[in-house]
Formats: sequence, structure tokens, C-alpha cells
Amino acid sequence: MTTAAVLQAVILSLTVAALYAAVAAGLTLTVGVTRIINFAHGEFVMLGAFLTYGLHTRWGVSPWLGMAASGVALGLLSALVYRLFLARVLKQDEHNQLLATLGLSILLLNIAVILWSPDPRVMQAPALLPPLRLGPVTVPGNNVAVALVGLLLFLAMLWIKNHTRYGTQMRFASDDPELALHAGINVDRVFELSFVIGGAAAGVSGGLVALVLYVQPSVGVDLVIRAFAIIALGGLGNIPGALMGAAILALVEGLVSTFVPQGGSWGFGVAFLLLLLVLIVRPSGLFGKQVQA
Amino acid sequence: MNAAGMNILVLRLGFYVAVAAPFVAVALAEHAFLVQVAIGIAVSAILALAWDILSRTGQVSLGHAAFFGMGGYGSALLTPVLGPVLGWIAGLLLCGAVAVLLGAVTLRLRRLYFTIATLSFSLSIQVFILVTPDLTGGSTGIMPPVLAGGSPPHQLLFITGCLVAAAAVSDVFLGSRFRPAFFMIRNNPHLAAASGVPVTRLKILAFAVSGMVAGLAGACYAGLYGYVIPDDVFTTNWNVLPLAVTILGGMDTTLGPVVGAVALRLLEEVARHFVGGVGYQVVYGAVIILFIVGMPAGLVGFARGLLRRRKATERPDGAKARLAS
Repeated sequence: MTTAAVLQAVILSLTVAALYAAVAAGLTLTVGVTRIINFAHGEFVMLGAFLTYGLHTRWGVSPWLGMAASGVALGLLSALVYRLFLARVLKQDEHNQLLATLGLSILLLNIAVILWSPDPRVMQAPALLPPLRLGPVTVPGNNVAVALVGLLLFLAMLWIKNHTRYGTQMRFASDDPELALHAGINVDRVFELSFVIGGAAAGVSGGLVALVLYVQPSVGVDLVIRAFAIIALGGLGNIPGALMGAAILALVEGLVSTFVPQGGSWGFGVAFLLLLLVLIVRPSGLFGKQVQA
Repeated sequence: MNAAGMNILVLRLGFYVAVAAPFVAVALAEHAFLVQVAIGIAVSAILALAWDILSRTGQVSLGHAAFFGMGGYGSALLTPVLGPVLGWIAGLLLCGAVAVLLGAVTLRLRRLYFTIATLSFSLSIQVFILVTPDLTGGSTGIMPPVLAGGSPPHQLLFITGCLVAAAAVSDVFLGSRFRPAFFMIRNNPHLAAASGVPVTRLKILAFAVSGMVAGLAGACYAGLYGYVIPDDVFTTNWNVLPLAVTILGGMDTTLGPVVGAVALRLLEEVARHFVGGVGYQVVYGAVIILFIVGMPAGLVGFARGLLRRRKATERPDGAKARLAS
């Protein structure tokens, strides 16, 4: 095997890592603030992918615009889901919260299957950016776009959390909801907002999915499982950790599926053995604070 | 044994007979379609009981397909070597042993991480099957011996026996010996440990028992047609089904998973009628959402609540009547 082949695999894995990081950053922002583990985050991504795909195939809308529209649509859907459903579950114990968002995920997934059939589709759109030549390696234009937008989304999550007024309120509300309430912060509103931001990020990530992956109902499950692996690697609520986790996961997965015979089928499993090992050694993730269980 | 103990024992046995009776009746009637439906319900109920036993200690598993599949593979691979009885026992012990290992490494994980770890575990086991074709047949699967000579009514009778066994195991863990400790571990593990509850030992015990019961469900399923492929027994369906069944029927009970399995199958048939073979699992999602938000105690819990309320309103009249006589 040549160095060029290795380099090619590494660089393509890193563009995938940007997509994973975008999905995981939205999820970890929400989880970090509300402590609700939203299993349906992956289905939000899937809906974003179908929306971008549908807008392009039916009306020829540019995927750039489709991405933005998906972000807005999924942000609104998140607000609806939060008000109608999650706000009620928030008061129940953690056991039930976990089960409730799982139910939502299964519901959305199967609605998509009923509406659009489980078959995979490919969005036939001209590449959004010209291909990038790096020495012996050529990176397809859509992968460049995914890497750029993915990183931008990731940075946006980081910026919102660390440098805005809402971000400060979010961190306060997640550290001690009761104290935040006494300090005059509308905790319910802050939770909803973090949910909407996470949902909007999921929608845009969905647009990225349509660029480089098959558009199909099960794509959300595949991604959310990886996103959980990533936030577990990176530590719950730790956004920079999510980037590291995404890079590690995408590299391991990409290298195994490229260089191990029949590796395509088990790159996924190897990534999970890795996760399991990390969780055994450090139960709060590689970059997480050690918290007593 | 004193009289009260005898009474409880008789009540229990009556309960098991009542659970088994409809299944036995279907088997005796030999109605081909109903027999298949009943077999499906019994297998789901066993798997759901397994999930519920673990959930009583606060450990929400999304990886029970692993034990379900391992039970199927274990019994299939060991039966030719050890014979049917020892082969099944060895297969279940294998599930138990793996569950102890998984339980030990996931012991310190907080709830979300625990759930992710179990999900990853089930995916990893599927990968393990795929990459060891010499041992497990890889993606083409294996052909275990068929249960009960391939006669569906006899299979149903056998699986009903397994269901009663699983119910009895579940009842042991709802008895006075384990129940308080399990729920204390779920609500507040620190308090439990401080009160002298052996938290570690009980969590791992629950995992081992849960793994074995899930393995039993898998072994039954694998023996139905004499054909098992990893894409069938390790699918997410088997990870999610026990949750939907148990939440619908009622968590922390023995009757709940059985009632839930019947009710979910009914809903599934209705959904299949409207949306066809794909996507009928939409009812799993709807059921979980509606019941967690509106009826967290499930059908059985709801019915118990109604009964209790009725008893509470009847009691004053009863007392008056006794005074009058």
C-alpha cells in the first residue's frame, strides 16, 4: 500500500470527522444543558437530509439553500417537540426521559420509512466546490464543503456556548437549575433555546449528509450512535472534546474500512470496541471531568 | 411452611396457570396462524421480562439483542456437541457469563453511558459473528436443530413452559428478598450502599439473570425454523422491542411484559394492515411516547390503580355490613 493511499484515506476520514463533529456538537450542547439525552437527534439529521434532497430534486433548490432551510425547519420542529413533549418529561425521572426520546426516535424513523420507503437515494447535484488537490491526493469538492460547513457549525456551537449571553445562561442553568431560577433566569426558556439550537445544527448537518452519504431513513440512527460514541469519548457536554472524539472515531473507522479486507462491514464495530475500552478505563470519557457515578 | 405462605404459593401457581392457559389453548386448537402469533408473543414476553429484571436496578439496556442472539447462537453451536439439554444449559450459562463480564465493566457508568455501552456491545457482538465465519458461519448464518421436530403447536407448548419459567424468575426478583434492594439501587445507589445493600453484587446478579433469560428467548427463537442469520437476531428491533413491550404492559411487574407483548402484537397487526410490512414499528415509538407521558405505569399499573381505588371506596361499606351482622 502506498503513502498516497494512506494519505487519501486519512484526509477523507477527516472530512467525515467534520460531519460527525457537527452532529455531535449539536447533541452535546443540548445534552450538556438539559441533561436530556436526545436519541431523536439523529432523526432530526435524517429529516434535514431528506428536506435538502427533496428541495433539490423537486425544485432544483441549491443544496446551500437547502441546508439553511433544513436548519430553520428543524429548529422550529425542535421547539414544537420541546413544548409538546419534552417539557413534560423533564419533570419525570431520568429512566423515563431516556425511554421517551428513544420512543420519539423510533416514531420519526418509521414515519420516514412509511413516507419515503427505506431505500437509499443519492442526491444528483453538481459538486458545491471545486475539488482540492493536496499533493498526490484529490479531495472531492463536496467533501471540502462538508469539512468547511461542519467545522463552521462546530465553531458556532462553541461560540454560542462560551461567548454569548445565552451561552452563559445555559451554563448557569445546567450547573444549578434552581440557583439559576433564583437569579432570574428563565430556565425553561434556556432549555428550549438550547434544544432549538441543537435541532438547527442537526438540520444543517442533515444537508451535509445529503452531499456525501446515502439519503435514507436509517442514516440518522447510524449517525446518532456515532455521535453518542463521540460525546462519550469527548466527555458529556464538552464541545472541544467532541471534535477530538469525532477525529478519533472517523480515523479508526476510515482506516479499518480501507485497509482491512472486508473492513467496510466492521469499521463500525471496531470504533465501538474502542469506545467500550475508553469507557472502561475512564467512565466519564477521555476529556470529561471525573464525576462520581 | 405456614398457612399464609401456602396461600401465596397457591396464588402464584394459579397465576402461572392463568398465564399459560391461553397459550396452551391455542396450541391445542392447532390454528396455524394463531399458533405463530402466540409463539411470537411468548418470545417477546420472555425477552421483555429479561429487560425488566435489569431495569429494576436502574440499568436501561439497549443491547439485549446481543444476549438474544448469543442465546440463539450458543444453543445452536453447542447442541450438536453436548446434546439438546446440556447444549441449551451451556448456551444460557455462556450468556450469563458474558453478562457478568459486561455488568462488571459497565458497573461504574452513569445512566446514559451505560445505555450507550450496551448498545455498542450489541453492535460489537454482531461484528464478532461477521468476522469469525469459521466458528459462527459469518453473515450466512447457521442452522440450529429445529425445536420439537418442527411442529409449531409443540414448539408453542415448549416455549410456553419457558415463559412460565421466566415469569417465575421474575417473581423471585420481585419478592421480599430482592425487591426493596433493587428499587433502592435504582433510586439512590449511594443510600443503598450506605444502608448495607450489596450494590455491586446485586447489579451484576441482575445482569447475569437478565442475560440468561434473554438468551432463553433467543434460543427459543433460533429453534423455530432451524435457520439463524446475524441480520435477523442482532437487529435493533430486538434491542427496542423489549422496551416497548415492557413500557406498554407495565414496568416492574411480571404480568406487565406478558400483557404488553399481547397488546403490542395487536397494535402491530393493526399497523401492518394500514402501512404494510415496512414501518409498522411506528407503533413502538407511538406506544413508548404516549405511555411514558400519559401512563408511565403501563396497562397493568393503570389497572392496579383502578382496582385499588375501587377497594378504597368499597371498604367503608364492607365494614358497616360486618357491624350490622
